[in-house]
Amino acid sequence: MAKTDPMHPLVKADEVTRRFPLDRSYVSALDNVSLQAAAGEFLAIAGPSGSGKSTLLNLIGCIDRPTAGRILIEGVDTSRLKPASLTALRREKIGFVFQTFNLIPVFTAAENVEFPLLIQSIPAAERRRRVAEALESVGLSARAKHRPDLLSGGERQRVAVARAIVHRPALVLADEPTANLDTRNATQLIDLMHDLNRRLGLTFIFSTHDQRLLEHTDRIVRLTDGQIASDSTSEGGHHGQVFAARV
Amino acid sequence: MGKFLLLAFRNVFRNRRRTVMTFMMVGGGVAGLLLAGGYFAFMIDGLRESTIRSGLGHLQIFTTEHFQRDEVRVLDTGIDNWRQVAASVKTGNHIRGVAPRIEFYGMVSNGQKSSVFMGSAVDPDAEKSLGFTANLSSGRDLSGKSSGDVEALIGSGLAKSMNVKAGDGLTLLAVTSDGALNGVDVQIAGVVSSGIAAMDARYLRITLPAAQRLLQSDRITNLVVGLDNTANTDAVYADLGPRLKGLPQQMTLKKWIDLADYYKQVRTMFNGIFIFMGLIVFFMVLMSSVNTLLMAMFERTREIGTMLAMGTPRAWIIALFMVEASLLGVFGAVLGLAGGNLLGTLLNHSGLHLPPPPGYTNSIPFRVLHVPGLMIASSVLVIVSLAAASILPAIRASRLQIAEALAHV
Repeated sequence: MAKTDPMHPLVKADEVTRRFPLDRSYVSALDNVSLQAAAGEFLAIAGPSGSGKSTLLNLIGCIDRPTAGRILIEGVDTSRLKPASLTALRREKIGFVFQTFNLIPVFTAAENVEFPLLIQSIPAAERRRRVAEALESVGLSARAKHRPDLLSGGERQRVAVARAIVHRPALVLADEPTANLDTRNATQLIDLMHDLNRRLGLTFIFSTHDQRLLEHTDRIVRLTDGQIASDSTSEGGHHGQVFAARV
Repeated sequence: MGKFLLLAFRNVFRNRRRTVMTFMMVGGGVAGLLLAGGYFAFMIDGLRESTIRSGLGHLQIFTTEHFQRDEVRVLDTGIDNWRQVAASVKTGNHIRGVAPRIEFYGMVSNGQKSSVFMGSAVDPDAEKSLGFTANLSSGRDLSGKSSGDVEALIGSGLAKSMNVKAGDGLTLLAVTSDGALNGVDVQIAGVVSSGIAAMDARYLRITLPAAQRLLQSDRITNLVVGLDNTANTDAVYADLGPRLKGLPQQMTLKKWIDLADYYKQVRTMFNGIFIFMGLIVFFMVLMSSVNTLLMAMFERTREIGTMLAMGTPRAWIIALFMVEASLLGVFGAVLGLAGGNLLGTLLNHSGLHLPPPPGYTNSIPFRVLHVPGLMIASSVLVIVSLAAASILPAIRASRLQIAEALAHV
């Protein structure tokens, strides 16, 4: 299991607060949350609906900005970056897996996987090679030319995973990746993500309240009402001891 | 870039019903412009050639003095040695022929009633050699062979006013080059109709020798030059100008377009109408496409959010929408070109005639010319309209808040 290096964590959330306007006041989705994740971690953010899981992932993924505090990716303070630099950072460093797959419906599985490489202007030959590799790693080589509407839910999510890892990001963020899958597909996806984590050393941070997924994680950060309630680790993906927030 | 265009192409056909509606709207606009523009082109082309063939010719030669002062006496600014000038002009390239003319005016009388006429004296053989044919509504054209009687062609309006027909006699009165009043009896050979009521009410034509006898002068007003093709006008103008400089009288050469005020007015009017129609089509396509493209953007909010989350530059999103809209325009334009040309061909074979416009007496055949420039202009117009219509949706799409877009249902 990867260890968090306090000096150089891959992700660092530093006293992050996110408030949203509601009528004439504000509602806090996250309140003074601090968190670190090291490269190679398989980290789950758990908690009930409305606890702030997705908000935290959005902030780590630089698709939202904190009201207070800061997010650092590989030591870079993202709050100081301009929008274009944030876009470049997402493009190069982060892969996303969404609850509803969010594949481009007019693209085939292979073209969807190719998209992150396309926006990085990687040459066509290299794109083809990497797409084939990514689809192979999620076991969907035979379905490369199928459009999303011809794939099952599990296959779509595996395509989404392939799309998230094809450009070799430093970090893969997955927001409730098993929420729309049945037990069999959910288990397959969990195994796949864990395998990629171990085999390729990819860092996964995902939000979930799926107990099946939590049983396979190395570390679980539990959120309640926008605050970290616990931060637990286990050996071999089995949790026993619960730790207080580590940072 | 290829995949980016592929994405745009596939997005165009994502909602087929809406795409078909947009194609029909864009295609209808292009077809409408092609039909209207093709008809206008036919009218303008027809008017140009009929203006030239009606006697204006491609070029006309006057004395320079003709444009510098009003005549004190009849033909005192006319061309003296016109046969020598005509012979010199005839040697040039593309020259079909040269016809002398005298423009004059006077009074015409049937013994009971008098009226003003605008006279034109011509050499009938020279006119025929240039293809200048009078539009006879009755009788026959003037003869080049001299006979005892002086013959005249008379406008239909003037004939009606004077209550005469072909074969009847009239007396012409005009002031001679010496300032005296002279008269000649003429026999009406035929009645002509130019199609313009105001012209037909005053028009009268006699032969050149008869006019020279009436006006007591050997001079002519001008020489009309006919070419083998209107397209050669500029080339012959450039060639002929220097050759006229060595003559005893200083000459001025005019192109037909400089003398065809009516043609220019009509062309300006048609151009104005066409530009107005183009603007209507532009705004029609623009306004309806903005709505369509905004709907497309709204439906794809989550997808755009996903693309932005993955690090797609916002400029790419703008470009994607603009390329999609432009492709819609291209396909719609192709549809419109095919439909417009097909419809135009069918109309051309239908034998349809339109009622005469104000001031005209003849109905006009409905024909649509297939003008390449018009096809290009109409297509570019709708493609630009659609590209312009996509700007607002494209900017909106590119400015979506990613987190909100991803939560869009």
